Amino acid sequence: MADGGGPRRAGGELIVPGAALAFTLYYFSTIWDSPWEAQVAAFLIGCVLIGLILLFALRLWREVATGRASLAMGDMLGPPEIRNRRLAVMALTFGYLFVIGWLGFTLTSFLFLLLGMLVLEDTDRRLRRAPHFAAVAGALSLLGWAAFIRAFDARFPRGPLEAALEGVFG
Amino acid sequence: MIEGGLFLTMLGETLAMWWVILPAVLLGLVVGAIPGFSAANTIIILLPLTLAVDVQVGVVFMVALYCSSRMGAGVPAILVNIPGTAGAAATPLDGYPMAKQGRGPQALAMSFVASTMGGLITTAIALLTLPWLAQVGYVMHSVEMIVVMLFGISLIATIAARDTLKGLIAGFFGLMIGAIGADHIYATPRGTFGFLELYDGIPLIPALVGLFAVSEAFHFIENRSIMTKEGRARMAEGGWGQTIEGVRMTFARWWHVVWTSLIGLVIGVVPGAGAAIASFVAYQQSRTFSKTPELYGTGHPEGLIAPESANNGVTAGTLIPLLVLGIPGGATAAIMLVVMQFHGVQMGPRLFMSTPEIAYGMIMAMFVTYAVMAVTILPLSRYLSRVTMISTIYMAPIVLAFTLVGSFVPREYMFDMWLALAFGVIGYVARKTGYHVSAILIGVILGPLLEQYFLRALRISQGDVWVLFSSTLGNVLWVALAASIVLPWIVGFKRGRSAQQAGADAEEHGT
Repeated sequence: MADGGGPRRAGGELIVPGAALAFTLYYFSTIWDSPWEAQVAAFLIGCVLIGLILLFALRLWREVATGRASLAMGDMLGPPEIRNRRLAVMALTFGYLFVIGWLGFTLTSFLFLLLGMLVLEDTDRRLRRAPHFAAVAGALSLLGWAAFIRAFDARFPRGPLEAALEGVFG
Repeated sequence: MIEGGLFLTMLGETLAMWWVILPAVLLGLVVGAIPGFSAANTIIILLPLTLAVDVQVGVVFMVALYCSSRMGAGVPAILVNIPGTAGAAATPLDGYPMAKQGRGPQALAMSFVASTMGGLITTAIALLTLPWLAQVGYVMHSVEMIVVMLFGISLIATIAARDTLKGLIAGFFGLMIGAIGADHIYATPRGTFGFLELYDGIPLIPALVGLFAVSEAFHFIENRSIMTKEGRARMAEGGWGQTIEGVRMTFARWWHVVWTSLIGLVIGVVPGAGAAIASFVAYQQSRTFSKTPELYGTGHPEGLIAPESANNGVTAGTLIPLLVLGIPGGATAAIMLVVMQFHGVQMGPRLFMSTPEIAYGMIMAMFVTYAVMAVTILPLSRYLSRVTMISTIYMAPIVLAFTLVGSFVPREYMFDMWLALAFGVIGYVARKTGYHVSAILIGVILGPLLEQYFLRALRISQGDVWVLFSSTLGNVLWVALAASIVLPWIVGFKRGRSAQQAGADAEEHGT
């Protein structure tokens, strides 16, 4: 998170302790009226964690005060040329989980793999490589269906394509 | 103890079943490598097969699958930083840096040889000392197990060596997350955000998939390859050199394999303790007694050998309570118990008198499986390691799609896939801001177990905390724990002073 000579951008380093502190306080609220057996371990661990977070905040405050660090967030999503790709892959992953319950494993995986590969490829080569990516995505998702659903009978999310394939192969 | 005649008969009979062992080994390697799949759920899927065949064939099949899945879990852990099971969670600490440096074939060869040696050694010891080893289950009570857990948890501080405060925050955050779920005595829901799916606690596979696979996939798309430039050049050289070097390096560290696999064997004997604890404890101990602890986490051979030997040592240990006491030491052993009972085999002390061919046969099957794996899997290391050469354009979507669905498999909840994604986001932020995801995972895995043993000890003593220091073995373990935490600090301090002194001397001579 350091960048060329200036103070270290340490704002991002507060995300994990911040989340940990918020979760610990929420956790305490859920056990406040519980029997001591349900509280003891969590209070022990939680109090140590809060102590560590306070120490960390103090250390960071000293670094900021002495000009060695700033509270700027830094490039959490990576260099600018990567940022859009990374955001697109994250959005695709959210989409994958939204859709897989309806479309099933095979079809959703095909779409996700194809779009994922297209997003990560350089812009000027996308169109040219699209058929190749479609073939790879198709082969992998069908292989996944054959290995996991057909051979192992794993309880993967199933949709219209799985139903159709089951109709064909019995 | 097994007699010589029976030993040879058993060996011959098991070797004759190579046609069962070979496909089981290959299947085990595949299911072990895929997060969400494991020997346990594969044996469940194939239950009709194991119930239909002769009991000895079924036993050999299950045991071979179990052993090879343990080895298979280390393959993606080394190559793409995705442990196939929680038992391989300590493997990427040094395995993945080796793969990034283009030493994938060497790392895989080391993992295979360490696993095989660890498995063979502990199986042989189990075979010879079965009645005595079974006693470990009687002497390891809640108090002793608390200390064993703390050995594993103290690894957080080891991992956090570069920034202790950040490492400890990550570890304790993991312990807090691990405390989610209903409490062990009154089933009071704690920290569940109202989700019924979290009442049983945090499921391990989504945590593993999220913290390692999802966050890694989001992370490595910055580059076209997961390897460094030098690593790519080294991998392009090809040949068998790295594989041979990996084998040689592991044999040269044979003593390391022996004692870390023994840690696995002893921990495996305790019902409920598992490969995850054993591998973390072995890694921590390996680093404690190392002459070069500062190299751990950078691709140090011993950092890879220790967890791989230990988690394969657990495999032999898990079967001992099943055979001797009739108590399954883990999920796979529990399913084996069901299959045996279906065939009319009653586990427990009488098994060795009524059907010794089954009792010793299980351990012999394990022994032969490891021997078969040594000759069949090792040559694959060169080819398997080529996974690291696949462009991240393909790798990232494949890892995301298949591992997220893998997190769905164990419980069949869509919720678990979302949970894996949530852990992925936590893992990504942690990586980007210098918090170690392994420290979070250690907390998530060991936290609930520690609480369980802690509460059990307190219930037995009616709330008296001095119970933690009430047993001789427990106190010995406490002293060992304190020593293993304090010694590296003292050694490091002394080395620092020696280096300082040497620097001062050199300066004096220079001037």
